[in-house]
Amino acid sequence: MIRFEGAGKRHPDGTIAVEGLDLEVPTGRITVLVGPSGCGKTTLLRMVNRMVEPTSGRVLLDGADVAKLEPAKLRRGIGYVIQQAGLFPHRKVIDNIATVPYLLGWDRKKARARAAELLELVGLAPETAKRYPFQLSGGQQQRVGVARALAADPPVLLMDEPFSAVDPVVRAGLQEELLRLQSELRKTVLFVTHDIEEAVRLGDQVVVLREHGRIAQLADPHTLLTSPADDGVAAFLGRDRGLRGLGLRPAKAVRLRPVGEGLRHGGWELVLDDDRRPIGWIDRAAGATDLQPVGGYRPDADTLRAALDAAVLSPAGVAVALDADGRALGTASREAVLAALTPVTMTKAEPAEPSASAGSAKSADPAAPEDPADPADPADPEEPADGADGGR
Amino acid sequence: MDDEPIVRWYWIGDHLGYLGNLLADHAVIALVPVLIGLLLAVPLGLACARFPRLYQPLSAVFNIVYALPSLAVFVVLIPYTGLATQATVMIPLTFYALAVLLPTTVDGLRAVPDSVRQAATAMGYGPWHRLTAVELPAAVPYLIAGLRVAAVSSISLASVGALIGRGGLGYLFIDGFQRTFPTPIVAGIVLIAALALAVDLLLVAARRLLAPWAVREQGAGA
Repeated sequence: MIRFEGAGKRHPDGTIAVEGLDLEVPTGRITVLVGPSGCGKTTLLRMVNRMVEPTSGRVLLDGADVAKLEPAKLRRGIGYVIQQAGLFPHRKVIDNIATVPYLLGWDRKKARARAAELLELVGLAPETAKRYPFQLSGGQQQRVGVARALAADPPVLLMDEPFSAVDPVVRAGLQEELLRLQSELRKTVLFVTHDIEEAVRLGDQVVVLREHGRIAQLADPHTLLTSPADDGVAAFLGRDRGLRGLGLRPAKAVRLRPVGEGLRHGGWELVLDDDRRPIGWIDRAAGATDLQPVGGYRPDADTLRAALDAAVLSPAGVAVALDADGRALGTASREAVLAALTPVTMTKAEPAEPSASAGSAKSADPAAPEDPADPADPADPEEPADGADGGR
Repeated sequence: MDDEPIVRWYWIGDHLGYLGNLLADHAVIALVPVLIGLLLAVPLGLACARFPRLYQPLSAVFNIVYALPSLAVFVVLIPYTGLATQATVMIPLTFYALAVLLPTTVDGLRAVPDSVRQAATAMGYGPWHRLTAVELPAAVPYLIAGLRVAAVSSISLASVGALIGRGGLGYLFIDGFQRTFPTPIVAGIVLIAALALAVDLLLVAARRLLAPWAVREQGAGA
C-alpha cells in the first residue's frame, strides 16, 4: 500500500505544485490520478519513487517512509512506465527489458530468460527480442516499456500517461492488455492520466484532482460517473458520462428474446445461416429482398454500451447477441438494453469500499450483484412491445 | 618548371619505401592526437554534462586554443619539446582535436531524450552510472561524427609540422617547392587524401559496428 500523508511540494521559487495530499493507494489495485495539466498528478506520482522529494508531509510504502530509503534501491523495487517509453536506444529489446535484473546483479542468462518471459507476457513476438527500439512501433515500444517495468517483479507500478502518445486504437489495445495483466499479477498500480475515459476504464479507484493536487473526488468509476461530487467534476467528466457509464456495465444484464421465438421484429426479419449465424435483416414490411447489416454484440464479453450501440446501428432497432462462435443467442431491442439499466443501476455503488465494487464492473465475466437476465426467459414484457412497432 | 611533367613516375617508383615511412609518420602525428583528444574529451564531456557550469569556461578555453595559428604554437613549444620532435606537432593537434570533440561529446550526451534519462533514473541508475552506462553509449553516433571531423582536419593540419621539420607527408610539399619538382607535391596530396578517406571509411564502419541502432534512427528523425 502506498500512503500519502499531507504530501506537498513547493518549488524553490515559491510556486505550489501540490498543497498537501492525503491518499491511500490500496495494494493490488489500480488507482488512477486524473486531472487537467498542472494539477500535480505527475509530481505526486514521482514522490513515490523519490524522483520528487515532498517539501511537506511524507509518502509511505508499506508503512516505511520512502524518504528514509536509499533512492536507487527503492526505485529498483518500483516499476515505472512513462509516456515516451524511454527505452534505451542502444540496447536491444531483450536487454532493455532486462535492465533492472542486470542492475540487481542477476547473471545475464537468467536476466535474459526472464526478459523473454515478459516479452511473451506483454504480447510481443519472440523475434522482437533482437530488435532495437527504433525498429518498433509506438505501441510496441510501450509494451516493451511495460515489460521492462515488470522485469524484476516489483509489487508497485507507477505509470505516467503511458498510453497517451499512441493512437486511439492502439491505446485501447494497450489498456485492455494492462487490465488482463493486472488480473494475473495484482500489482499496486498508481496510474496518471489526463484522459477521464482512460481513468474510468482502468481504475479500481479514480482520484479526480484539481489544481495544487486537491482531491475533487475519490470514487470507483461507476460512482464517479453516476454521482459526481460537484459541478466541476461533472464538467470534467463530460456531457456523455451517462453513456460512458454504460461502458462499465456488463451486457449480460440485458434480457434477450431467444432466437427460437421467431426472427421477426415488426416488419424486419433476421436471416440466419444453417449454423444460426446471422446473415442480415430483411425489410419484409417493405417487400425488400436485400439484406441489411446486423449489429451484434457478445453478452459474455461486451458492455451495455456495445449492446446499445449494436441496437442503435441495426436497421431493425434490434441488437443480436452472439456467442463466441458468432452464432445468434437471441435478440435485444433498444428498449430491452435500456431496461437493463433502470432497476439495478445503483446496486454497485458502495462508496465505503470503492475499489472492491469497481473491480467487478470491469472484469470480463463479472460476478454482477444483480441477477443477470436469463436469456431463455420467455416472460419478458418488453419483447412484444418492441417488435410491434418495428414496421410501418 | 617549364618542361617538368606533373608526375615523374620513376621518382615515385624509386621512393616507395621513403613515401611509406612518411605516410606512417604522418598517420601517427595526425591520429594519435585525435585518440588522446577522445580520451580527454569523454571524461571532460561527462563532467560537463554532470556539472553544466563547467562547459562554458572549458569550451571557451578550447575555442581560443583552436583559434591560435598552429605554426605560432609550434614555435612556442620548441624550447620545451624540441625541434623536429613528434611531441611538438602532436601537442597542438591534440588541443585542436579536443576543441572539436568536447562539444560533440557534450551535444551527444545532451541529445539523449529526456524520457530515456528519466526512465534510467527511475530504474535506479545514479547520476554517474546513468551517464556512463546509458547516455554515453547513446551518444556514440555523435562521438563518431566528431571523430570524423577531428581526424580529417588533423590529417590535413599535420603537414604544417613540416615547417619545423616534423610534418610527415608535409615534407614532400617543401621538398617539391624548393626543387620546383611537382612530383613529390602530387604524391603528398594524393597520399594525404587517401589517408583521410581511409580513416573516414574506418570510422563509418566503426559506427555501423558500435551503433547499428543509429543507422536509421537519425534519418527517420526519431
